[in-house]
Amino acid sequence: MDTQTCPIDLSDEDILDAMKNIPGYLDITTRDFKEVYLLAYNQALHRIKHSLKARDIMSSEVISVKPDSSLEEVAEILSENGISGVPVADAEGRICGMISEKDFLIHMGVKKTGTFMTIIAQCLQNKGCLALPIRRQKAENIMSSPVVTVTEDATAFEISGILTEKNINRVPVVRQENRLVGIITRSDIVTSSCSIGY
Amino acid sequence: MEYFKKMKGDAKSPPFVGFTEIFWSWIGAFVGIAAVAFIHYNILTETDLLMIIGSFGASAVLIYGAVRSPLAQPRNFVGGHLISAMIGVASYQFFYSHMWLACAVGVATAIAAMHATKTLHPPGGATALIAVIGSDQIHNLGYFYVIMPVGAGALIMLLVALLINNIPKTRKYPEFWF
Repeated sequence: MDTQTCPIDLSDEDILDAMKNIPGYLDITTRDFKEVYLLAYNQALHRIKHSLKARDIMSSEVISVKPDSSLEEVAEILSENGISGVPVADAEGRICGMISEKDFLIHMGVKKTGTFMTIIAQCLQNKGCLALPIRRQKAENIMSSPVVTVTEDATAFEISGILTEKNINRVPVVRQENRLVGIITRSDIVTSSCSIGY
Repeated sequence: MEYFKKMKGDAKSPPFVGFTEIFWSWIGAFVGIAAVAFIHYNILTETDLLMIIGSFGASAVLIYGAVRSPLAQPRNFVGGHLISAMIGVASYQFFYSHMWLACAVGVATAIAAMHATKTLHPPGGATALIAVIGSDQIHNLGYFYVIMPVGAGALIMLLVALLINNIPKTRKYPEFWF
């Protein structure tokens, strides 16, 4: 199960110390306690993953760009906000695509598996700017579409499945007519799972 | 190999309890056993009735000495004794011509029945066994054994447990009733 994370590894001494702090004879061994703890931990994780909804973990202040935004603008927005992807929404707030670093790379002629390092390598070899081919283009020219979206009722568990399955890092949350209301990134999922244990 | 490995016992024993715990275990057991023993030896002497049986000593360990244990809660304590007593008497009446069988069936069935009813209380096994190997006085009680000494005695000891176990700040009894 991909939701299984490792709880704190309790030592026998931790458990015995804790038991000493509870007055009265506790009719349980350290091993039994650990077994119950592990099972209960995973059970709780499972329950929370299934009860946490998209609306609980999404960022609702979404930065988005317009389909006719220039790529220069888009690149600036990404770099200023320290994000690697942004949804493209029309004037009514309906989502029509997603743009990520990957889309830039692909349209700059870097092969699909390429990374930023591919760009560096090519720049160093050609001594030229690879961004030239996309310089005059707009968001709608390079965005990925159709977009994988989720509704506010999707569970964190389902969303982490979608992110893994589609190999994407963020998924927009939409209401009727694909209206953008939030965005969930992989780190939102991780943070929500971590907050359970800490 | 796995089978023999299991005999090693790799878990740690629970820690010692403090002085307060020892003190209140003693007080509870003293008052609880005193109550049933006094009735048995000073009030019921002219009758054929009993109020104390050996398994109450074992129950005292749990309900006064390990008050947090699920095995010591009212459901287990009273339920376990009543169910086991019934099974013990029945086992004796069915199999008294083969005492070894009556003993084994009584105790084994008592454990199974306590498990099945979520009333596991270790002294129940003794209660069932006493119904089989006890004196003629016990055999003559028939199923009345379930009501007295077992039921009545257990209720008196439960009352004492409620009164005594809730005196110290560090104790609370019961954890649950049913």
